[in-house]
Amino acid sequence: MKEQFEPNVVAFLCNWCSYAGADLAGTSRIQYPSNLNVIRVMCSGRVNPLFVVNALQQGADGVLISGCHPGDCHYMEGNFYARRRFALMKELLEYVGVDARRFNMSWVSASEGSKWKDVVQGVVEKAKEAGPFEQFRRNKINW
Amino acid sequence: MVDLEKLKTAARETVSRDDVKYLIGWRQGTYGFRVSPHFVKEPEEAEKLIFSPLCTNNLATYLVLTERLPLPRGEQPDSRKVALMVKGCDSRAVVQQLIEQGIKRESVLIIGCPCEGVIDLKKVEEKFPHLPGPAQARWSNGNIVFHLPDGDKEVPKGEVLAAKCLSCRYPNPVMTDLMLWEEVQTRGNDEYDDITELEAKSPQERWLFWEDKFSSCIRCYSCRNVCPMCYCEDCVLDRLNPAWVFRSNNISENTAFHLARAFHLAGRCIECGECERVCPVGIPLMKLNRKLAKEVKEKYEYIPGLDPESKPLQSSYRPDDKEDFIL
Repeated sequence: MKEQFEPNVVAFLCNWCSYAGADLAGTSRIQYPSNLNVIRVMCSGRVNPLFVVNALQQGADGVLISGCHPGDCHYMEGNFYARRRFALMKELLEYVGVDARRFNMSWVSASEGSKWKDVVQGVVEKAKEAGPFEQFRRNKINW
Repeated sequence: MVDLEKLKTAARETVSRDDVKYLIGWRQGTYGFRVSPHFVKEPEEAEKLIFSPLCTNNLATYLVLTERLPLPRGEQPDSRKVALMVKGCDSRAVVQQLIEQGIKRESVLIIGCPCEGVIDLKKVEEKFPHLPGPAQARWSNGNIVFHLPDGDKEVPKGEVLAAKCLSCRYPNPVMTDLMLWEEVQTRGNDEYDDITELEAKSPQERWLFWEDKFSSCIRCYSCRNVCPMCYCEDCVLDRLNPAWVFRSNNISENTAFHLARAFHLAGRCIECGECERVCPVGIPLMKLNRKLAKEVKEKYEYIPGLDPESKPLQSSYRPDDKEDFIL
């Protein structure tokens, strides 16, 4: 039997909304795919677009960035800046030929446990369809 | 029309001023169609200044590249102005530096040279190979006249102008303290056709295109060093701890380098084309920069380097920015 490809998805979650939303999904015992590697950041505005490039280099097949809904940012405006940045980063990645399904961004609030489940299912499904990422993955370095 | 005497007189007067440190202009290079930057500190040095279709260099880089050594105790920093000769595109670089507060308005004196388009050195060298000595050129009624050792040659503009000049939207400096001669007509309206063409291909085709280009990169960082907008004192590409982009020369690191470089110019690139001009392996870097410029223009109706009062694109936002890509 051919083993099914399990993608490796890196998720940058903001501490105040999306991380709490994922936590709620956990405490509510909502089932969702376990392909996610969560990295907690203080705000989606803290995510440097180079994190995405670096994640893809180091073996991610998909990237998800999630923050508070616009207007709900704990730091007032962090997610507005993130939105501009990643709108451009997404265009740039697609332009050099990275599959559009690999980069995702979402707004998930602390009370949206079920939305979080839908988002993760969607992201993992898309990463599965896109297949393993090999375009500019970093080779293992043997020092 | 280009008036060299007026240029030299203006330069002499400028350099004689007490509040001007030096003037940066162009002078004849040592061979072929090359042109060097010329730093005029004394009025008599102004004799060497030129302005011709060969003056491709964007001198705005020198405003931000100045080395700022630690001062001896008790010494005051030199607060005199730097005078700078600018073409249309160069002036946008200066304005963008002002927007970002990379330089102060009172520390620079802008001398505007409306420009009818500069050459692409590669195209010209193909036309006139193996030139024994330095050559000159001038604009003449829509053509460019080259003064070569074996006589003058007149060439239509379309054959030798740089790609950025053929569709130039801002041939006249957008901000000046002194305009040297009357403004020229705007040549084209840039519709980003080359970008649309590449966008229309499939992701695989696009990656094959860029993989080929990126893998030829030798990571000389010329594109970064020549760029008038790349002036961070602590560049992310130079960081070692943490190392954002490794120094090894392979497709992974090269791609990361080019994505980082292009992204750091998103909403800041004024499309002077210097990066592409200096690239020793001919990577079409402007195709990356112009893609982002196109997106910035379409998404946020923002054109960098025009209004010194505006805020930088990525440190401002509108609550109603488009978010159709967000889940």
